[in-house]
Amino acid sequence: MKNLWIVLKFEILNFYKNKSFIIASVIICGLLIIGMSIPTIQSTFFSSSDDSTGEETGSDQTYGFINNAEDNVDSETLEMSFMGGELQEFGDREALDNAVANGDVAAGFVVTSPTEYQHVIQNNEMTGSTHFMFEEAFRETYRRTGFESLGIEYETVEGLVHAPIQRDTVVLGTDSAANYLYTYILVFGLYFIIIVYGQLVATSVASEKSNRAMEVLVTSTKTEHLIFGKVFGGAIAGASQMALIIATAMLAYRANSSAWDGQLDFVFDIPLSVLGSFAVFGILGYLFFLFLFGALGALVSRTEDVSTSVTPITIIFVAVFAISVMGMQNTEGMLLKVASFIPFSSFMAMFVRVSMGSVSNMEVAISLGILLATTLFTGWLASKIYRMGTLMYGNPVKVRTVLKMLFNSNDV
Amino acid sequence: MHLEIKNLHKSFGDTEVLHGITFEVESGKALGFLGRNGAGKTTTLRILMNLFNQNKGEILLDGKKFQVNDHQIGYLPEERGLYPKKKVIEQLVYFGELRGLGRKKAMKNADIWMERLGVTEYRNKKLESLSKGNQQKVQLAETFICDPEIVVLDEPFSGLDPVNAQILKDIIREQIDKKKLVIFSSHQMGYIEEFCKDIALIHHGEIVLKGNLKDIKRTYGMNRLTLKDSQRSKEELKEILEARLPSLLKSVEIRKERLILELHGGKEKQEFLQEALNIGLDIEEFSVYEPSLEDIFVEKAGDIA
Repeated sequence: MKNLWIVLKFEILNFYKNKSFIIASVIICGLLIIGMSIPTIQSTFFSSSDDSTGEETGSDQTYGFINNAEDNVDSETLEMSFMGGELQEFGDREALDNAVANGDVAAGFVVTSPTEYQHVIQNNEMTGSTHFMFEEAFRETYRRTGFESLGIEYETVEGLVHAPIQRDTVVLGTDSAANYLYTYILVFGLYFIIIVYGQLVATSVASEKSNRAMEVLVTSTKTEHLIFGKVFGGAIAGASQMALIIATAMLAYRANSSAWDGQLDFVFDIPLSVLGSFAVFGILGYLFFLFLFGALGALVSRTEDVSTSVTPITIIFVAVFAISVMGMQNTEGMLLKVASFIPFSSFMAMFVRVSMGSVSNMEVAISLGILLATTLFTGWLASKIYRMGTLMYGNPVKVRTVLKMLFNSNDV
Repeated sequence: MHLEIKNLHKSFGDTEVLHGITFEVESGKALGFLGRNGAGKTTTLRILMNLFNQNKGEILLDGKKFQVNDHQIGYLPEERGLYPKKKVIEQLVYFGELRGLGRKKAMKNADIWMERLGVTEYRNKKLESLSKGNQQKVQLAETFICDPEIVVLDEPFSGLDPVNAQILKDIIREQIDKKKLVIFSSHQMGYIEEFCKDIALIHHGEIVLKGNLKDIKRTYGMNRLTLKDSQRSKEELKEILEARLPSLLKSVEIRKERLILELHGGKEKQEFLQEALNIGLDIEEFSVYEPSLEDIFVEKAGDIA
């Protein structure tokens, strides 16, 4: 047991002393701090720019129109109803065309009847939308004139048609919409950390074979200590890096909380039950995959061969991630339900269901039991494969060969 | 301590590489484990270190099954290697701790052994920046760091220059004096002759010769003589002897600079000397043949493998 601790300490320090580990952590944390400070920076340096927002809606723009249907269309009503800026009446077509060509007005409209008009513009742009605003005003003028000719007051009609509705949602189950973002962040974080640290653990095992330290190691202590120490070391290094990143994000958010005005509270306000299930399922799944990566690393003799060796498990893992993320759209889907019991995917799929869907405690317990048992089994298997792979140099060993040899231990 | 290796058999796939290896080692007496390349030395030592499982046979220490993890063993593997990107002191302390030393003790022993082997100046250097010979010395420091009771060295002299070989010889001698159980394999006979009381010679996965080196030499020297003639070359002498004295001589061989004669059983060297003078040889040198280990080795394992 003491040796497990010695190996663990050695492996963790290997990570912490690694330059790329330090640099990556510093860069990620730095970006988070900057990102979280953007609102503060904006409000400090650009606070005076608030009154310029009007430009975006185009209210300062001037538009021209000619009314050729004065009997039926009231120019004044039309001007009043126009919300997109100032609408100016022109006397004749030539003046309007000139104004459009010079850029004095953004666009011109020639009304020919209460329901017909001509749109005059200099250049037709794909996203041009000026005519929508005019149409809105044109239509309202038509309605107003129509209702008023019938002796009905338009405001009354308006009030009836556009009656304001108030909504208040009461969520009895899980509020998927609010949970989506933090579930996504946690799942993605888990994905990221497993793929990165899985590779690192596999490479670390393979490099001990390629630099031949393995033979001294396995004669100095038990192989279980070596593989468990390595996997736990990688797990702790990864988890602490993730914790550091999350803590940095939270602290930076707190420090800038006045500028954020609580806009991101929902991201950081994760219920304890969700955090708890994330911790339990996340850690088990993390260990499960690190054991697999470690065992696969022991099957090759050179670090160059690691990526080939771990490809199958990486593909499975990416598929698991895809299923889980797709499952976030529909937590009652069959695929996600099945995936939440298979040890390869349950750590992520079950977490998604706990966080965003509704799932019985019994289901969670069963899934957890399966995951726990398989993780322990994988740990045992990984230490056997590690022991076996130790002195097999040369071509990468096939998984099938290894399993065959496991049952015929004299071959080692 | 008394280590017995009994009837080890080992196959890789369908090929049996060890066909019943048996030998014994005593504390305070070094065993020289000899054999040509590929004879099975490293495989035997790896089975001893529990790196491989044997298919048959057993290893006993003082009559009980030998458990590698229960003893302090200094093992220098044939495949040398530590962590190239780690500082020398860091890895020495790590291995010391893994073998049961406390951190302080590991640090102290590491410094002692680095000093002894003359690599103290590389204490805080990364291993990969050292020359091959110095890396080998760091590995030796790692082997002895935990003051092992059993020392297993696989080809310890390969890669060392004469000065460093002398340092290692002194260390091995010291281990023998401290009554450690020392096994070391080599194909360099000179070193084995220097400090091994016992040898085991492995050839094609079988022990073809084992026992006390002096006894073996005596047995090999029995009935053998060397002869030099001041007038004739070895070749001429050989021809004459074969033609004139077949009743006394079983064989006549030229080995390097000497002519080696083997008498028929029951014939005495005085008898031969008399006859040699009778046939008119001008004897310059006449002695009882004392074979070198190398001669024995070549004779026992010299076939084209």
